[in-house]
This record gives sequence, structure tokens and C-alpha cells, in this order.
Amino acid sequence: MNIVVAMKQIPDLQQIRIRQRQPVLDGVPAALGMIDKNALEAAVLLKEKEGGQVIVLSAGNEEVEETVKEALAAGADQAFLVIDDSIENADGSVKAPILAEAVKRIEDVGLLLFGEGSGDNYSGQLGSRVAELLGWPQVGFASKIEIQGSQAIITRSLEDGDEILEVNLPAVVTVLGDINEPRIPSVTQILKAGRKPKEVLELEELELDLPALPQIKTLSNLAPETNRKQIKVGSVEELIQALKSEGVI
Amino acid sequence: MNFELSKEQSLLQAMARDFAEKRLEPIARQIDEENQIPAEILAEMGELELFGIPIGEEYGGAAGGYDGYVLVMEQIARISGGVAMTLAAHTLGLGALDKFGTEEQKQKYLPDACKGKTIASFAFTEPGTGSDPKQLTSTAVKEGDYYILNGTKRFISNANHPGPCVIFARESESQEVTAFIVDKWCEGYSISEPWAKIGMKGGVLTDVYMENIKVPAQNLLGQIGQGFPILLYGIALGKIGTSTAALGGTLAALEEALKYVKEKTHRGAPIAKFQAIQLKIADLKIKYETSRWLCYRLGWLANNIKDPAAFAAEAALAKAYCGDTVVEAAKIAMDAHGSYGLMKDYNIERILRDALIGPEIEGVSDMQKMIVAGSLLKR
Ligand SMILES: Cc1cc2nc3c(=O)[nH]c(=O)nc-3n(C[C@H](O)[C@H](O)[C@H](O)COP(=O)(O)OP(=O)(O)OC[C@H]3O[C@@H](n4cnc5c(N)ncnc54)[C@H](O)[C@@H]3O)c2cc1C
Repeated sequence: MNIVVAMKQIPDLQQIRIRQRQPVLDGVPAALGMIDKNALEAAVLLKEKEGGQVIVLSAGNEEVEETVKEALAAGADQAFLVIDDSIENADGSVKAPILAEAVKRIEDVGLLLFGEGSGDNYSGQLGSRVAELLGWPQVGFASKIEIQGSQAIITRSLEDGDEILEVNLPAVVTVLGDINEPRIPSVTQILKAGRKPKEVLELEELELDLPALPQIKTLSNLAPETNRKQIKVGSVEELIQALKSEGVI
Repeated sequence: MNFELSKEQSLLQAMARDFAEKRLEPIARQIDEENQIPAEILAEMGELELFGIPIGEEYGGAAGGYDGYVLVMEQIARISGGVAMTLAAHTLGLGALDKFGTEEQKQKYLPDACKGKTIASFAFTEPGTGSDPKQLTSTAVKEGDYYILNGTKRFISNANHPGPCVIFARESESQEVTAFIVDKWCEGYSISEPWAKIGMKGGVLTDVYMENIKVPAQNLLGQIGQGFPILLYGIALGKIGTSTAALGGTLAALEEALKYVKEKTHRGAPIAKFQAIQLKIADLKIKYETSRWLCYRLGWLANNIKDPAAFAAEAALAKAYCGDTVVEAAKIAMDAHGSYGLMKDYNIERILRDALIGPEIEGVSDMQKMIVAGSLLKR
């Protein structure tokens, strides 16, 4: 059984600068989403126990051929890439059929993992959309995954408790960011990442009938404004009083 | 000309940064205070293959080149000078073994050293000489299939860790300086208490006592009398490590200063608004970038050495510059902190102590400048 991990190429968030309330993306190197890396680590851990191959699936512009080396260094055995410039600005309605079609072309997939949301837009739709297109069961917000024969036992961590589910394979699972801590790759894993097998397809080769682009446009993306109260205190007593009157303690 | 890192190089850099921030940063002060690196840290560095980056895969190395080594060393030194010192001295020993060892010697010593199961040393300095091989007094006397080594080596890094040590001694018949591979902790090998040095603690420094150490003749490194070229070549490669350890210190100084001047306020506004502070920040950035490109280029040059003497001059130039610069940078960053910088609560206190090591090791800065001048004037 093989495990596919869908990973999104996003701008390296640590290197983005903000100018005039807009992110400057020019010259920012591409990276893979943080939670996607948790999904990959979950897949590699399962593979180490159960065998099979971990295949990283990514759709993006041609840069993704380089970006995916990060996943290949971190333990993926192969990459399956769909390349087209338009994919970068596409929303879930476009990407889901692309990923679903790609998964159909990969042999013996038992599990398809996603991060619970991508590192940039965090729309969190793709897992469900792809599961629907494939007709597979889907489980979200997994904090633990175990394989038992033709099923997976999945713990979902919810606000008020843990839910344990049994799901038939093949299945789609989206994982939480705290499911694990991705390992640090070794020097040769990094240096040899580029030599691992890669299947690269152009978008046309999937022969899909895709909706027109773009269906959703981001108008603004800003952190909420916080106004600090700037209360000055002269003593610990005053501080305690201030905290009390603000309802903090 | 291409100044861009490849994807693999940026991943290597990110990996080392990640390791340094996650594993070393929480204990950097502890390493400094205890003058010891926890065994599990050294073991993890071994698993990540940080101990054999420039060594070929046929000898258990990672084949990442000296350019890869530089990228990793910078990130480690940014967080812990002591760990950087340990890695630099180890890689210095390995570089000499790799270049001058026989196939048999390399197969015997390199694989374990590349995995960090052993840690290498390189012992030239003696109580009577640091920069001048002519004054070397340790002796090697041939006895049957062995050489008997006697003498004292001063300030030897990693001498406490088991592993191979490249030791320079005067071969008695030829009276020539000759290099030997000694298994640390063999019979006749002992060390002093660690020197209580000012910085780069965790990089343990001891004297080595050789009392009738029996070294098998097959552990001769290179030829009898080849000690001097081995020393020069080895030390030239070693300066990649010390230059880059200094570079990491300069980066740390820049980052600490940047952080502090944005946090510390004067009449309600960060001190970063003062032009005098801004000039310091600019100076730090200039010092970092100049050191950085010298080190990256030195790593690249080391992968492509054609003329060892020309490389030695390049290495001396980088070492002189980066070694002196890290001290200047750490001092500027400390000035930006004012009195707070003197306190152990602030990293810059340790960064400055670590920095002071840079100009004084592997040949003091003046000696490096003499090599640079010599390469220009002897033509
Ligand atoms: C942290 C640390 C780690 C070390 N690790 C090692 C190690 O692993 N292996 C090892 O072998 N050594 C090691 N050393 C020793 C170090 O490399 C030497 O101490 C260093 O090369 C300087 O030698 P010295 O102290 O004898 O100084 P000297 O060479 O005596 O220099 C002292 C001063 O005299 C001047 N001077 C010397 N010779 C001349 C000359 N010909 N012309 C003009 N001026 C001159 C220099 O400019 C300098 O200012 C280490 C030292 C430290 C602090």
C-alpha cells in the first residue's frame, strides 16, 4: 500500500516583507506548507512501520520541481507533479479535480494525506473536495493515524475531546499541525533528494475540463488591528488594579 | 558568476539552522557554563551527518563539499561557538587524513569519524611553538615496525574525545617534521585538565602528553619529512572552519543587536531611531556580508584546489579578516546593548567571549597577514 501526501508550494512565509499593507512576493523563495510537512512526517512514520512508498503529490508552476526536493529530503520516496503556471492562483474548485485525477494515476494508494489547511490561504477545502471526487471516505483533524489491515484507526482531536474512528481504506485524512514534529533531514538525504524518482506531467496531459479562472479573488489579507490601551502603572498594586479593572484577572 | 544558493544548498542551510535553533539554542548557555556538549547532541550531529560533510561517500562522508560545510558551520556557530569549535577541529583532522591518508588509513579512520562515533584532532602546537614548525620538539623514534612518540602538545581541541589524532613530531633519523595518526587514549596517551578558556566553551581544550606512545609504522601520515606540507595544507583547510565559525559569530552579533535596538526604548521610542545606532547596525551588516562572501567563496575554492599555496593564501586572507571582524562586530553589538550587554542574561556577552578566540587560533591574525603578503611579494 502506498501513501500519497498532497503538499502545496507556497512562498516562504518567513521571507515575506510587507510594503504598503501588501505582501511583497517577488524574489521570495518557494517552500512547502508547514502542516503539509506534518502530513509528510505522518506518512513516513507509517511507511517505516507498514512498508510501501510515500509519494508526494504537488501541483504548481514549474518551480515546484525544485521545491519538492524538500519533501524528498524529508523522507518521501517519489514525487508526482502537475505543472502549470495557472495553478498558483487557482482555488479549490480547480485544484481538487487536478489532484484527484493525479491520485487515480498512482498505483495502489491506500491513504491520501493533507495538512488541515495550506500554509498560505488556509481554506482547508481540498481534502474534502478530493475525497468527494474520488468517492473515498474522509476524516479531518487527525492527531493520530494507525493502519490495521484494510482499515485505519484515526484519532481526531476536537475542542472538547478525542474521537477515535475506524475508516476503510483507501481514505483521505487531513492532519493537525501538532500530530508530530517533522524530523530534521540528514545531509545526504538533502543532497540526494533530487535523484529520487519524479513523474512530471503538464496540466493538459490530465485532460480535465476545468472551471474558468479565477473564481475567488483575495481583496485584502491583513491582521486585525489591535489598539493597545497604553495604561501606565507606577506600582505592582496599580498593575494588579489595572488588570482587574480590565477584567484580565 | 552565480551567487545564488542551489535548492540543495538552501535546504542544507535551513536544516542546520533548524538543528541549531531546536537543539542547541535551548542549551547554548549550559554548554558555555559546563564546558561540555551533551553526548546526545554529538550523537544527533552524527546521525545528521554533520561530522563528515566534505568527505567522500566512499569513506562514509556526505560528499557535501566544503561549500556545504561552510553553510552548516555558519548556522551552528551562530548559536553555539563551542559546538562550532568542536566541529571545526574535527573537520580539520579529517581533512588532513582525507588528503594525505593511504586507502587503508582512510578506510580505517574516516567512516567512524564521519558518523561522529569518533571525533578527530589535529595536534601541532607545543608549549614552545604555535606558529613556527622549526621549533617543534616532540620526537618520533623508529623501533622495528613502530615509532615511539614523546612530547607535549599544547591547546589541542577534542583531545578528550576518542578518535584519530594527527600528531606532528620530529622523526629522529631524518630530523624532519613528520605526521602520525595516533589513536587517542592508546597506551602512553594522556591529557591535562581542560584549559579554562574565555570562550567557545564546550570546545574542550587540553594539553596532550605523549609518553612512549607506540605508533605502528603504517600510521605514518604521508612521507617522513612531509609534515610541513601536511601541516600547511591541513591548516589551510582548517581555516575554512575557523573563518566560518567567526562568520557565525558575526551573524549572531548582528541579530542580537537588531533585536535589542528594536526592543530597548528611550523616551518611549526604540533606540533604533537614533542615527548613531543605525550606523552600528549598518556596520554590522557590512561586516557580516563581507565575511560571508569570503567564507562561501573559500568553501567553493576548497572544492577546486589546483595550487595549494594559492589556496593557503586565500584561506589566510579569509581567516585574518573574519577572525578580526567577529571581534569588532561583537564589540559593536555589545556597545549597542550598553551595560546590559555585559550581563550573562544577554547572549552578546557570550558571543563577544567566543569572538575573542577567532583571531588567536590556527595562527594569529598577524601570521595570516604575513602569508597573504608573502603570496604577493614573493612573485
Ligand atoms: C580554542 C583554541 C583551540 C586550539 N586548537 C588547537 C588544535 O586543535 N591543534 C593545535 O595544534 N593547536 C590548537 N590551538 C593552538 C593555536 O593554534 C596556537 O596557539 C596559535 O596558532 C598561536 O600560537 P601561539 O599561541 O604559540 O602564538 P605565537 O605563534 O607565539 O604568536 C604570539 C605572537 O607573536 C607573534 N609572532 C609569532 N611568530 C611571529 C613571527 N614569525 N613574526 C612576527 N610575529 C610573530 C604573533 O603575531 C603573535 O602576536 C588552539 C588554540 C585555541 C585558543
